[in-house]
Amino acid sequence: MKNNFVKLVSILFIIAAVSAGILAWLNDTTKDIIAQNEAMASMDPAILEAVMPGSVMFYDFEDTALIDTVKAENNKIINLMTAVDASDNELGKVVRTWSTVKGFNGDMELYVGFTSDGQISGVSVISHQETSGVGSKTAEPAFTEQFIGKDASSEISYSDYDAVTGATYSSESFLSAVNNAIKVYSDYLK
Amino acid sequence: MDLVSLFITSFIVNNIIFMQFLGACPFLGVSKKIDTAAGMGIAVIFVITLASIITFIIYHTILVTFELEYLQTIVFILIIAALVQFVEMFLKKSAPGLYQALGIFLPLITTNCAVLGVAINNIIYEYEFIESLVYSVGTSAGFLLAIVLFAGVRDKVDYADLPDSLKGSAISLITAGLMSVAFLGFSGLQL
Amino acid sequence: MNKLQIFNNGVTKENPILVQQVGMCATLAITTSLLNGIGMGVAVIAVLTGSNIVISLLRKFIPDEVRIPAFIIVIAAFTTIIDLLMHAYTFELYKALGVFIPLIVVNCIILARAEAFASKNSLSDSIIDGLGMGVGYLVAMILLSSIREILGNGTILGFRILPEAYEPMMMAVQPPGAFILLGLLIGIVNYVSKSKKA
Repeated sequence: MKNNFVKLVSILFIIAAVSAGILAWLNDTTKDIIAQNEAMASMDPAILEAVMPGSVMFYDFEDTALIDTVKAENNKIINLMTAVDASDNELGKVVRTWSTVKGFNGDMELYVGFTSDGQISGVSVISHQETSGVGSKTAEPAFTEQFIGKDASSEISYSDYDAVTGATYSSESFLSAVNNAIKVYSDYLK
Repeated sequence: MDLVSLFITSFIVNNIIFMQFLGACPFLGVSKKIDTAAGMGIAVIFVITLASIITFIIYHTILVTFELEYLQTIVFILIIAALVQFVEMFLKKSAPGLYQALGIFLPLITTNCAVLGVAINNIIYEYEFIESLVYSVGTSAGFLLAIVLFAGVRDKVDYADLPDSLKGSAISLITAGLMSVAFLGFSGLQL
Repeated sequence: MNKLQIFNNGVTKENPILVQQVGMCATLAITTSLLNGIGMGVAVIAVLTGSNIVISLLRKFIPDEVRIPAFIIVIAAFTTIIDLLMHAYTFELYKALGVFIPLIVVNCIILARAEAFASKNSLSDSIIDGLGMGVGYLVAMILLSSIREILGNGTILGFRILPEAYEPMMMAVQPPGAFILLGLLIGIVNYVSKSKKA
């Protein structure tokens, strides 16, 4: 009987090992393309322009200790960055954050840019899972551009913005992300 | 998001069945009697919570450390399958009545989208340990709620006069849809 | 059964969604747009056919006592393969389908076919069965997602079909709509198959 048990386990092990091997190879092959896809999704020039007009790159904050402190306190924050233009001048700060209130299908991931005089320079959606044609409209400029120029000294209330008709949950999730960025900006980056 | 609102959100506002569809198969199949449905729901709470804990630990300590994240699907589903085996053996010994009543649906908890779904979501949403625990318990409690409510309604539907083609899954789905409308109403809930 | 019958079986008589009514989670969640429905359908065809092939090839090699764990490993492996390929080469669709791609592994239809067919039949028959069931799944996905996209958005594959003046039926692309429309679809299928028998 023990022989049988060993045989059963070995066969399972072989199947598992072969599968793992194939997956390891495939993972290696696709790793770079995947990383590129993810990076492009968040570093698309169109997104950079929408969040901080004139910027060509977002760099992580030099003060990485601050990034860690903020992330430890606010676990929806993904990154704190500096936006620079073509001559490497600092244009402002950018917060990359999750929403704090779930959208229709999940959390939304946003960039919120802040000028040096404390106004929102632009907002852009990096990823979302909202329904196409409905909640996905929150990713469109017609919706996101309303935040440009808003004062970042206090959170934006529900009465101060226009939600997408028929996409209330997506809109409120979006707003929660913007407000989370504003909170971090006011507390740490001003 | 604080823990209480995380719980309420996963329990009702984003109810696993009526809003996220995960676990729809056993939901439609098992729930004809309220006590069987309740038993199933509790078994699922147990499995989801334990599965969440174990998969979370394994992911963060082993998979991430060795850069084996791509093995997530295989590892998670095997953990779940093993867990369900244990629950089966446990129920057979300690609650044979329930074991008989659940029948084939007990091993089918392995293929319950909700279990794997919750485990994966814990990773996607980058929850910490306590958050993933609250999320799992809330979500599975939502499953229990949904399945017991549905069993109650299903009971009455059986007595209704329906055209032949709608009997069975068709009317179950439509009923579930109407209940889903009710849960949609929670979506505006601000905590 | 000859090959054509096997294929046809999967598409009509034993259609995974409309007749067997398994694997509903993805069906209800993904079908908000035709493109997503097609994408998911094709992914399922790939995983189902792939796992049917491997399991059929290994059927004499896998002992009965461990067949379920063995099937699970194979299916999970194929699911991960599709996941990685989509993550790399169809990024937009990957983002749209989200968590439902890894959830293909718990799609009951795949394990059911492995157990009921691939482990007991020849390689060529198993391929046809996988394709048949997969296409049946795809057809159901196309039906449901077309209805939901037209009613809920006025578009098909992103192209506007209904006039701008049409107020989209929001419910169609939301969870209640999914349940109700799928229920009605199954009801219609029942009705049609009953009258065919009569």
